[in-house]
Amino acid sequence: MPGVAFVAHCLLNQNSKTAGGARCPGVYSPLVQELRARGWRIEQMPCPELAFTGLNRFWAVKEQLDTSAYRRHCRRLATAVAGAVGVHVRRGDDVVIVGIDGSPSMGVHITSSDPARGGRPEWPDGSGELSPGAGIYMEELTAVLAERGIDAPRVMGISHQLPDHDPAAERERLAALLEG
Amino acid sequence: MEADARGFRVALVAGELINPPDGGVDALAVLEDEDWGAIQLPAAEYPADVAEPLLEQAAEQAEEFARHGYTLAVVGHRAGLEEALGRHGLETPRAIEPSSAEELRTFLGSLAG
Repeated sequence: MPGVAFVAHCLLNQNSKTAGGARCPGVYSPLVQELRARGWRIEQMPCPELAFTGLNRFWAVKEQLDTSAYRRHCRRLATAVAGAVGVHVRRGDDVVIVGIDGSPSMGVHITSSDPARGGRPEWPDGSGELSPGAGIYMEELTAVLAERGIDAPRVMGISHQLPDHDPAAERERLAALLEG
Repeated sequence: MEADARGFRVALVAGELINPPDGGVDALAVLEDEDWGAIQLPAAEYPADVAEPLLEQAAEQAEEFARHGYTLAVVGHRAGLEEALGRHGLETPRAIEPSSAEELRTFLGSLAG
């Protein structure tokens, strides 16, 4: 039975991306097409970086954002989303979460990490900040769901900002996620 | 680095038009075709204690786009939106409750500049 997909904000609104990061004008079609084709309901999560560090933010790694203030901000957003997740879980809906791999906030299986990064930005393109693990918002969302006794939904990260992005492989992983 | 492809146009969209019933207006499909992004507003079916913080966050995000001169629009009705936007110093952008995809497409086209 189709369920409810809670998706990263930027997958419906690429305008929220860090400058240089928007892959399309607005809606990321590969995800929406797959969800629509399978009859899934779409629920958009907020972008934690947009309202905190703004549209002019630099690309950042997890360590740069991992302050107590940013954690509180992510917790506030995640608490609101967990409320909506709870509505659907209590109703018996199948719920999945789709994040953004490579993101310091929305990463699911891959985040970005560089403990030394800071100060005047001058790092070269292609520096190796990608790192296994989840982003800060995803960690907070997982924690809030657990506190509410909600079993962790199935998750995946869209890979469109990773250097080895393979659209066909991404679609296969999405299909596997939705099929459970 | 790849070129940034953003459209600089963002619509605040009622949840019922992101997930329309059979035969309803699929606003997301139109936005996708017209190169707009979407900020989803909570559907009316959510209880107030769930919907209100989500609505507040939508307004907070809209403020950041407004501050940077992005074109904003409202698609569909969401109770409390005007007040939420007002708390962030925003007037309600031009709005439509579309009865068809074509009507929405025409409306968005009129704002595209």
